[in-house]
Amino acid sequence: MSPRRRTSAAAASLAACALLAAACGRSVNASTASSQVSPTKGLVTTTTAGTKPVSSVTWAVYRPVNSLDPIFAFDYPENTAISLMCESLLLQQPDGAIVPGLATVATPGPTSMVLTLRRGAKFWDGDPVTPADVVYSLDRQMDPSYGGFYGQVFNRVKSIAATGSNQVTITLSKPDYWLEGELSSMPGIIIQKSYALKEGKNYGTPAGGIMCTGPYEFKSWTAGAGVTAVANPHYWNPAVKPLVKQIIIKGVPSAASFTSGMLTHAIQGSYYFGLSNLSELEHSSAVKVYQGPGESTDAFIISTTTGPLANVKVRQALSLALDRQAIISQVYDGAALMPRWLANPGTFGYGQSVFTAAYDRSPVLNQDLAEARKLARQAGVNGQTITIGTSSELSSIAAETGAYQQAAEAIGLKVVLKSVSASDYINFFTSAQARQGIDGFITVNYGDYADPAALLATLALPGGDQNYDNFSNPQMTALLDQAEGTASPDQRAALVAKAEELAAKLLPWIPDVQPTNVLMLSKGLTGAVASFSYMFAPWADALGGTS
Amino acid sequence: MRWRFLVRRLAMLLVSLLVASFVIFGALYLAPGNPISALSGGRALPPASLRVLEQRYHLNQPFLAQYWYWLENALHGNFGISITLQENVSSVIAARMWTTGGLVLYASLIIVVVGIGSGVLAALRPGLADTSVLVSTAITAAVPSFVAAIVLILVFSVKLGWFPALGNGTSLWSNVQHLTLPAVALAVSSLAIVARVTRAAVREEADREHVQTAISRGIPARQLIRRHILRNAAIPITTVSGITIASLIAVAAVVETAFSLNGLGAYLVQAAESKDLAVVQGISLVLVTAFVVINAIVDVLYAVLDPRVALGSRAQ
Repeated sequence: MSPRRRTSAAAASLAACALLAAACGRSVNASTASSQVSPTKGLVTTTTAGTKPVSSVTWAVYRPVNSLDPIFAFDYPENTAISLMCESLLLQQPDGAIVPGLATVATPGPTSMVLTLRRGAKFWDGDPVTPADVVYSLDRQMDPSYGGFYGQVFNRVKSIAATGSNQVTITLSKPDYWLEGELSSMPGIIIQKSYALKEGKNYGTPAGGIMCTGPYEFKSWTAGAGVTAVANPHYWNPAVKPLVKQIIIKGVPSAASFTSGMLTHAIQGSYYFGLSNLSELEHSSAVKVYQGPGESTDAFIISTTTGPLANVKVRQALSLALDRQAIISQVYDGAALMPRWLANPGTFGYGQSVFTAAYDRSPVLNQDLAEARKLARQAGVNGQTITIGTSSELSSIAAETGAYQQAAEAIGLKVVLKSVSASDYINFFTSAQARQGIDGFITVNYGDYADPAALLATLALPGGDQNYDNFSNPQMTALLDQAEGTASPDQRAALVAKAEELAAKLLPWIPDVQPTNVLMLSKGLTGAVASFSYMFAPWADALGGTS
Repeated sequence: MRWRFLVRRLAMLLVSLLVASFVIFGALYLAPGNPISALSGGRALPPASLRVLEQRYHLNQPFLAQYWYWLENALHGNFGISITLQENVSSVIAARMWTTGGLVLYASLIIVVVGIGSGVLAALRPGLADTSVLVSTAITAAVPSFVAAIVLILVFSVKLGWFPALGNGTSLWSNVQHLTLPAVALAVSSLAIVARVTRAAVREEADREHVQTAISRGIPARQLIRRHILRNAAIPITTVSGITIASLIAVAAVVETAFSLNGLGAYLVQAAESKDLAVVQGISLVLVTAFVVINAIVDVLYAVLDPRVALGSRAQ
C-alpha cells in the first residue's frame, strides 16, 4: 500500500483571486475547449524542446521549499525541486510509462527484483553511483528511525542487498508489481551515501545541501531567495544537455502575486494549480499556458460509517445531482475534465490501450437530477441531514462544498456545514476526532506514480490510510490484490480497470472533476514537461529558449 | 537619570519578552493541529516514524517541560530548530530580518516625510492645498494595505512596468526598487492618519495666544513656524508617528505576503500555520523587541523636544 498525499494545505494558496478586479473576470469561452471527456484530447505531455541557452529562470511553487530530502518530499514544492535535480532508479516518462532511470530492472521471479545500474551513472562530484548508494538510499526510506514518509511503500520488501559490482537485488515477501512505480518516484531517488552520512541530520536542509545525479546540480539554498540549481556540465547521460544556466525555485504563496509575477516576467515558469484566474494568463501575450494530463483527482471523501451517505444509493444520488461543469468553470477556470472514474485518465501509465478502452466504455458522470431524486426517494432519506467539513478560508474548497450543498438539497437532504480554518483543514485527514460527526469533505488527491490503483488502494482497501468510511468490498479487495501480484501490464490494467468501474458505482469517494496539469511558461521559453509526471521525474531536461 | 532610564527600559524589555514568550508558546500549544501532520502534509505516518519525529522535537513532553526546554536553550542563545525547514531559527531570522527592517524603515521614512510634510502644508496653507490633502487623506486612510498592494501591483508593475511585482532585490539599488511599492502600500493608510494629526496639531498651536503675540511682535514667519508652532506641535506628532511606525511591524506581514517578500512577518504567519513553535517564538521576540525599542526612542524624543518632560516620564 502506498501512502498518498493531499493538497489541503496547498489549497490555502489558491484561496485568493483576491481583489485583482481585472484578474477575477472570467472569460466566457474559457472552459469550452477543455471540458472534453476524452482522456488525452487537447492535452500535451511535453512542450517543444528548447534550442537556445537561457541564463536564468525563476520557477514558482506555491510556498517555499521545506526539504530537499526525498524521504520528506510530500508536496508540490519539494517534489518540484527534487525531481529537477535528483534521479530515481526507474524513470517516469511524461506519458507515465516507466523506463530505466539510474538502473534497469529485471524480475527473474515473482518475488525478486534485480536492479542493474546504468553504465557511467555518476554523482555531481564525479563519483560513480554504486550498489552501496542504492542500498543506503532505499534503507533510509524504509528505516523508521529516519522518520521518512514512504516506509509503507516497502511493506512487501524482505531484503535489499548488493549482489554484484553494479547490481542490487530486492527480495519480496509477496509479489509486488506496484513497487516499480514507487521506485520511479520519490521512494526511488538515489542519494550519495558518503555525503549523506557526512551531513547526517543536515542532509537535505539549507545547512547540509544534497548530492544527487541529475542534469541540474544543487548550488545554493538561502531562506528567502529560494533553491538555486545550475546546469551540471558533466551530466552522465550524454542524451541530455541542460540549456538553462540556473533555475531558481521560489515560493510564491499568493496567487495574485504569482499572476502579476508571470505577467511581468518576474516569474518565468510554473506548474501553479487551481488558479481561478487562469484565463487571464491564457490571454496574455507574455505567458504561454499548456494543459497536460493530470494525475490528481478532485473528490468528495466519504468519512462516515453511518447516516444517509453510508447508503450507496444516496451516494449515487448525490453524485448524479452534482453540477460538475460548474466546478470545472468556476474553480478550475476550465483546467479540469469531467470524470468517468475516480482515477484521472492521466494516471494510465501502463496498459494504456486496455485502460482507455475500458474508460471510454464507462459513462461520464453527468448531472441527472431526475434520476438522482428517484434514487434518493428509493433510499427514503428525505429530510435527513448530512454534515460537510469545509473551510470558508479556502475559496476552492468552499465553492465545491457549495456545489455539494446544492446537490444534496436537490435530492431532499439537509446540509450542515462545519467550517474550520485553512490551516486546520488538514485535521480532517489526520485526526479521527476532527472527522467525528462529519459525513464528508473535499480533497485533491494523487498517487506517487501513474497508476489508477495507486490512489484507489488507499481508500477502497480495508486498512487503507485514506479509507475513512471503512469501505470494504470483497470483489474490490480481490481485484486490487490480484492486480498487485500480476506481472503482465495489460492484465494488471484490466484488473485495475474493473476495480475502477466498481468504484465508480459503489462510490467509496465521489469523484468531482479531474484536474489537468497546468504548465505556464514565459514567452520565449519552452521544453518543460507538461504532464503531472514533473512531480516525480526530471522536467527541465529540454527547457530552453525558442529560436 | 539616563542610566536609570536605560536600566528600567531594559528590565521592561526583558519582562515583556518573558511574558510574551510564555503566552505565545501557550497559545500555540493549545491551538489545534500538530507540527508533525503539517510536516507530513497530513499523510498517515507509520507509528515508528511518528515516535522518532516527536522525540526529535520534544513533542512528547508536557507543556511546561517543553517551554522550559525552549527557555533554557534561548537563554544560552540557542533559539531552536525550525521543524519544517530543519534550519536554525537564528539563521532563519537573520536571513529575513533585513527585508522586514528595510521595509518598515522605508515606510516610516515615507510616513514621516510625506505625512508630516503634507500635514504641515495643509495646516499653514488653507485653501486648495489644505482641501486636496484633506480629500486625499480621507481616501487613503480608508485603504487597507492589502488593497493598496493589489492596486499598486496592477498599475505600477503589470500595466506600467515601472517596478518589479514581487520578490527581493540583489543589490542595494534593486532592493530599493523592489521595496518601493511594498513600502508605499504599507505606509499609505498610516500616512493619512499622521498627516491629519499633524494638521490638527499645527492648527491648534498656530491659534495659541503666544503665537498671536509673536505675530504681533513682527517675528518673521519662518522663525515663527519653526520655533513657536512646530516645536510645540511636535509632541502629538511624535506620539502618533511612533505608534503608527511601531504598528507597521505587525502589518508588514500582509504586505510581505502580497509582494512575495521573504520577510519576518510573512514567515511568522506561515510558521504559525504549520505550528513551527521555535520559529514563531523567535520571530515574535524580535518583533516585541523592536516594538519596545521604538517606544523607548519615542520617549527619548519627548525629552529632547520638550525640556519640561523628564526622561522616562510620560509627555503631558
